[in-house]
Amino acid sequence: MKRKLTLLLAVAMVLMVALTGCGGSAPEAKEELVLFTWQGMFPQEVLDGFEEEFNVEIVYSNFDTDETMLEKLSLAKGGDYDVIIADDYIIEQAVAADLVAEIDTSIVTNFKNIDPLYQGQFYDPDDKYTVPYGAGIPLIVYDPEQVDFEIKGYKDLWNESLKDSVAITANYRVINGITLLSMGKSMNEEDVAVIEEAGKKLKDLAPNIRMIQDDNTQNALLNGEASVAFLYTSQVTAALAENPNLKVVYPEEGLGFGIMAAFVPAKAPNAKAAGEFINYLLRPEIAKQCIEWIGYYNTNEAANDLVDASLVVPDTVTKGEIIQNVSSEADEAYNKNWIEFKAACGE
Amino acid sequence: MKKNYWWTCVIPLYAFTLLFIAGPLIYMVAISFATNNPSGYGFHWALTAENFLKILDPVYLQCFVQSFQLALSTTVLTVLIGYPFGYFMGKLSRKGKKIMMFLIMVPFWTSSLIRLYGWLIILQAKGVFNGMLMGLGVISEPLKILYTYPAVLIGMVYALLPFMILAVYSSVDKMDWTLVEAARDLGASRTKAFLTITLKQTLPGLLSGVILTFVPSMGLFFIADLLGGNKIVLVGSLIQDQVTRGSNWPFAAALAVILTIMTTLMIFLYRKITGAKDLEGIF
Repeated sequence: MKRKLTLLLAVAMVLMVALTGCGGSAPEAKEELVLFTWQGMFPQEVLDGFEEEFNVEIVYSNFDTDETMLEKLSLAKGGDYDVIIADDYIIEQAVAADLVAEIDTSIVTNFKNIDPLYQGQFYDPDDKYTVPYGAGIPLIVYDPEQVDFEIKGYKDLWNESLKDSVAITANYRVINGITLLSMGKSMNEEDVAVIEEAGKKLKDLAPNIRMIQDDNTQNALLNGEASVAFLYTSQVTAALAENPNLKVVYPEEGLGFGIMAAFVPAKAPNAKAAGEFINYLLRPEIAKQCIEWIGYYNTNEAANDLVDASLVVPDTVTKGEIIQNVSSEADEAYNKNWIEFKAACGE
Repeated sequence: MKKNYWWTCVIPLYAFTLLFIAGPLIYMVAISFATNNPSGYGFHWALTAENFLKILDPVYLQCFVQSFQLALSTTVLTVLIGYPFGYFMGKLSRKGKKIMMFLIMVPFWTSSLIRLYGWLIILQAKGVFNGMLMGLGVISEPLKILYTYPAVLIGMVYALLPFMILAVYSSVDKMDWTLVEAARDLGASRTKAFLTITLKQTLPGLLSGVILTFVPSMGLFFIADLLGGNKIVLVGSLIQDQVTRGSNWPFAAALAVILTIMTTLMIFLYRKITGAKDLEGIF
């Protein structure tokens, strides 16, 4: 018994010494950079490269939805995190809540690399707070073997020959938005009468709809359920990877896009490293790696020549608009349009 | 004298029930009378009936009608398939019953979502079913089954059939067959004996099967989403929409309250008809 106790004591002492040893080396530990974004947003070598070059350890923390991000950031009162990458509309709310710091251009010297197409947007009109990371642009993709005319824009989705063969994503604002664009109106229309008119037009689309789905919508196109699909960017990339013969259409009425952007929270513990990280991401060769990894459209003009050509939006396309928050009356009308449309599709 | 402390064991159970079942239910009812915060998330406490009045809008009423229709057709189909199945299963030998029970249970070892994806693979244009029919030369062009109403029905019936079978089976299993023999001895035809004796004795099982299929089928919206291509708006998906992207919690709560009331009425009706206290077939 006594021997056991002695042994235990000895083990405990060894452990204590070991632990003190660890404590002793703490001041030499690397600086930390807390990166907060969705899962899987970076290729590992990009993160490793930064850690090595700047001797900073990246702590990758992730959220599943923009809303969760904002909630956590509000709880932390703009602290805890150093760099956050999230969607446009939520950044607008974060800026309004004073949770975002201005970009320090003395550190972020590569700021000039950003493609002007993605600057001056509603969530950051003066380009003070954000650096775009990638753009999502829903596009029309179709199988030319099964469609016997050339699709040029949204209006072609209404073509009678496409009966029961169009797959679309399930974002009510985007689908309402492209209907409005096909009518020559804005995606962010506030006039309820116009929205209701769009609702009627949307109902006419119902007979052509094969399915409505947000996840893996491209599968409908690949497995032959649909011959035309209106897809999110990552889905367009996935569809083309599987079947390179598919045709991508940049609708002539204009594009609706969304931007993911990086920002530094108001009370970021390590704002300097945050600036360095954002600057590092803006290097053309790093931007190339990131964009090709996430499969979104390139927002870094300096990287346009490096990036896979399918991820660069051609100059010829009509610049579109971003979907923004609208008044609750308008939103209600959009919601109604959507439900009526879905019900009409089921008939 | 020994004191009796039995109640100390019961308190946690009651606390649990109150906290996690009654609590959320009351919270939901309370929210259904609140007003939505138009500029973003959350809601303001209030006492308004506007959420319930909104349901009367034809757009939303239609969702209830569609849900009801789908639930009804699902239930009718499960009765047509499940009743004979459960009936003959009850007449099997002991060993036969065991094997049958095992076979019914096996699919439950896999997540229902994964089983639905299986249907997706079977039904799609380049899928197993169409491949088979085309291979046999029955059809030359693939049938469009996926993302149609029949596909949703197949999925619903598939998901809910076991509940019907088990409910009917449990009634048939404990049936007093001597009554049927007596009826036959006294000159009743097979059909008459079935209608007057068997059906009556198995009615509680059949009706509890109806409840067990009808009530969940009002809420099983993910089947309609997956196999129906999201083209049928059921109350369930409407609620989900309002909670997540519509972010109108009070309206979602009002919809949920109405749905709860409807299903409670169904169970009430069941007890009225059968006089049973519990649903038969649920252990």
